[in-house]
Amino acid sequence: MKSKLIFILVLACACTGKTNNSDNGEESTHSEDVKMEQYLVEGQKLYGIHCANCHQVKGEGLAQLFPPLAKSDYLLQNVDASICGVKNGMSGEITVNGTTYNQPMPGIPQLTNLELAEIFTYVTNSWGNNNGMITTERVEATLKECAQ
Amino acid sequence: MRVTFVLYIVLLTMASACNLQPKEEKLKIYGRSEVSDAGDTIYHKIADYKFVDQDSAWVTPETFEGKVYVADFFFTSCPTICPIMKTQMLRVYDKYKANPEVMILSHSIDPKHDTVAVLKEFAERLGVKSDKWHFITGKKDDIFKLGQTSYMVAATEDGSEPGGYVHSGAFILVDKERRIRGFYDGTVAEQVDKLMIDIDKLLKEYEK
Repeated sequence: MKSKLIFILVLACACTGKTNNSDNGEESTHSEDVKMEQYLVEGQKLYGIHCANCHQVKGEGLAQLFPPLAKSDYLLQNVDASICGVKNGMSGEITVNGTTYNQPMPGIPQLTNLELAEIFTYVTNSWGNNNGMITTERVEATLKECAQ
Repeated sequence: MRVTFVLYIVLLTMASACNLQPKEEKLKIYGRSEVSDAGDTIYHKIADYKFVDQDSAWVTPETFEGKVYVADFFFTSCPTICPIMKTQMLRVYDKYKANPEVMILSHSIDPKHDTVAVLKEFAERLGVKSDKWHFITGKKDDIFKLGQTSYMVAATEDGSEPGGYVHSGAFILVDKERRIRGFYDGTVAEQVDKLMIDIDKLLKEYEK
């Protein structure tokens, strides 16, 4: 009786294994969705700790002091420069949605590549932004190219 | 029996109504007070000061004559609590924009970096008017001393802190007699709600 049950179980596993292999495409999309969700959740937490003081909880920025991130043309056109800016700091004038900003942004060098990926995935996919996932590989490659 | 009971209830209601009155009345006066020879109470007051604001104009206690004001300590390049304090102070500014009796005084604790020009640009970018919200700079020692002894808040240099300074995120409510009437955490929205309720209460003390 027991051995029969185990046999059935093994068969079932084998079957599901097979189905997994056959629709590989769908399966990876699903795991990407899960990963994206995780990045968004973690990114939101990190954003609250490191960014929201200035850029505000909904990414709206503060007057002409701190630029908005929500629907920010600068951010979405300069994701790589922004990743470098968060890691290493940024200064000088920038124009965001037609308004100039000139407040230096201190870098947060202790952020890991994963944390940066989570923050940027959150920021570039919230409040009307829809830029897709930022991977740790992307962050790693970007940081190698930062102008020092 | 029933009559006594009703009477008792009526008395109780009256008593509790009386009790409510003093609660509404006045805000506490902070700091150590002394009694003068004549028997009057002398309260802790903000000491004399003279600083320069974002318009290069002198700011002294006379600037706030006949006004209540909210004071804080910050610096423009502060990456930690200042931006959130400024976000919250902006709420106070917006609420009392049209009320000439209420003003705001922000002291820079980094006068070396926060020159008049830097403060001017900061205020303009924040979108606030200098006759309502003064950003002042001056001698660092004077500002720190005034913060510690008059406003009773801490502000010190600390190289290990991001930005180089530790300071309190307090908003301090000062009345027309230069007395402190409340301390609030300027980084917490609910505390700033309380501040605005207290400003209204304080203004009521001067109505009559």
